Amino acid sequence: MEVAQLVLNGVMAGTVLAVPAIGLTAIFAVLRFTNFALASHMTIGAFAGFVANTTFGLPIVPSLATAFLVSGFFGWMSDEFVLRRLRASGFVTTAIGSIALTIALENFVRFGFGNQMRGYDLPLRRDWVIQGLRVSPQQVENLAIAVVVVALLFAFLALTRTGKAMRAVADNPMLASIKGINSDTVARLVSFIAMGLAGLGGMLTGLDTTIDPLVGFRTILSVFAAAVVGGLGSIPGAVVGALVVGIGEELSLLFLTPAYRTAVGFLAILLVLTLRPRGILGQRAY
Amino acid sequence: MKRLSRRTVLKSAAAATAALAYPFQVQAQAEPLRVGILTPLTGAGGNDGPRMLKAMQAVFDEVNKSGAFGRKIEITVEDDQTNPEAAVRAARKLIEVNKVSVIMGTWASAVTAAVAPVCWESKTFIMTVSGADPITLLPHQGFLVRTQPNSRLQGTAHGEFVASLGAKRLGIIGIQAPFAIPTKEYLEAVMKAKGGAVVSHVIYEKDKSTYRSEIDQVMREKPDFLYLNGYAPDTVVVLRDLYRANINLGKFCQSYAVPQATLDTIPPEVSEGVMTGQPSADVEGSAYKSACDRLGLKEIDGYVAQATDWASLAVLTVAKAGAATGVALKDTVRKVSQGGGTKVYTAVEGLKALAAGKEINYEGASGPCDFNEIGDISGCRFRYMKVAKGKLEFLKLV
Repeated sequence: MEVAQLVLNGVMAGTVLAVPAIGLTAIFAVLRFTNFALASHMTIGAFAGFVANTTFGLPIVPSLATAFLVSGFFGWMSDEFVLRRLRASGFVTTAIGSIALTIALENFVRFGFGNQMRGYDLPLRRDWVIQGLRVSPQQVENLAIAVVVVALLFAFLALTRTGKAMRAVADNPMLASIKGINSDTVARLVSFIAMGLAGLGGMLTGLDTTIDPLVGFRTILSVFAAAVVGGLGSIPGAVVGALVVGIGEELSLLFLTPAYRTAVGFLAILLVLTLRPRGILGQRAY
Repeated sequence: MKRLSRRTVLKSAAAATAALAYPFQVQAQAEPLRVGILTPLTGAGGNDGPRMLKAMQAVFDEVNKSGAFGRKIEITVEDDQTNPEAAVRAARKLIEVNKVSVIMGTWASAVTAAVAPVCWESKTFIMTVSGADPITLLPHQGFLVRTQPNSRLQGTAHGEFVASLGAKRLGIIGIQAPFAIPTKEYLEAVMKAKGGAVVSHVIYEKDKSTYRSEIDQVMREKPDFLYLNGYAPDTVVVLRDLYRANINLGKFCQSYAVPQATLDTIPPEVSEGVMTGQPSADVEGSAYKSACDRLGLKEIDGYVAQATDWASLAVLTVAKAGAATGVALKDTVRKVSQGGGTKVYTAVEGLKALAAGKEINYEGASGPCDFNEIGDISGCRFRYMKVAKGKLEFLKLV
């Protein structure tokens, strides 16, 4: 029973982690760099959703949509004006530039909203107990939202012309360009969607806890771990990686004290990279 | 009689001017007191750091305006980010670039434990609010004092309070921090003496979005009361998860984990009945009232009071020592903070007494500020509060 509860907790945590992890891996697939600015975009999304929810009184789903749109917009703009210019200088420069960008954006949020913690206007509900297993209605909703978003994204990539163009650029940028796909447009789109997902993930995390300007920074290491374990660049891999990290961290409590939980995520990275350097599902985008 | 030449008159006038100006020159040339304020403006301590900063600045402003100090006070502020690595970098900058002789304001115990060696190695004095026992046990050679009660004073007082509420089986769930184990040991000793026990103790990691599994672990031994030993971001998550899990036991937190600003972010039913404890400012003392007036506030908390005391003690110690170095602060601080001298309650009052040639004993806003040989205060009061409908209500002062 204890193992079942831990696995359930891990699935819940992993699913929320999967949303920003998909964003991180999508950017890597198309633009070939690790965008650590994801952390501040999670924060921007969480705060955009907070304003929609508490200032404008919107319910949760429209607030989540606001979080997606606002952080997506910031993602597009930051790529257009900052990161795009750095990409010519290579992977390392762009990744380091994204760290600088994330610190700047995080402080931008801090400047506007201050440092204190804030909470969404959301009634807190007691857990459901089913067959002796506890599960929170909020987490079930988060799970449902995350599953729907991931399904929509998969449908977008598989069924639409733009989605196919994105996959083409991810698979072979040169060939895609010969076929007449505009890689700049794809880069903008991927920045928008990926950072939108980051913002959504930031708000989903905040729904369960509280938010402050560090909400993204606190989560970025687990998100990074999930993307690497699943195979950096693979979108289904990000989902698998997030579940492995989520469940792994929980199951570690059977034999480790909770103080070492994060170490499990990084042990998973070491293990996977040693045995399978491309990650569980490899680097194929889709 | 020899006639005075124009040159002689000018020479004499210049000499007289120089002689008259001499004391002022000495005063103007006196080494400035360079203060490094290293406090959390961001991170888990971001709620307390900015208020402590204002309190210190207010004291220095008052001293500057009074003109009684005779030295310039140069303040450099750095954010320790409630993060030991960032704090050490900032401390090195304060010491090596800004040449400060005292660093004040570190909050988290892990941060102070990291910064303290940098300070004593460079003979820089440090004043802190961190309470974990190991901090004053470090080989700091006297370069560290703290106005916060240590884990022994806090753990023992909290244990007695919790036991007085009828707790017999205490469960502790708290963050990985230097105070985690010492606090548990003192709580255990008190509970045992009162016929109870600590039945479970779980230390968790910071920055997690849920602590459901940790709560399951602490509840396995069926405690009848919970002691939450964390900082604000994680304690909020624990409180929410406890509510969701329908666990309605009595709960006690450190006051810094659930300040009013934090309570405002969570539904009132989640925090209902939570008890908090904090080292209390000496609310009946004259220093406390002066600190409130200086900041234009009706009341101040223990951290603001302690910050007021560091700034006042630094100024008074330098005035007494006649030197603005870390070594002078280390050697002289106890000559103004305790002993049989005239009791003074503000820095300006103390400066005037020192100028009049009196010995002084500074009685602070946070308490008497009497330090033992390792830099701990000898005792203090504790103020207990209870949360009702999302608001903190005063319970008692012990």
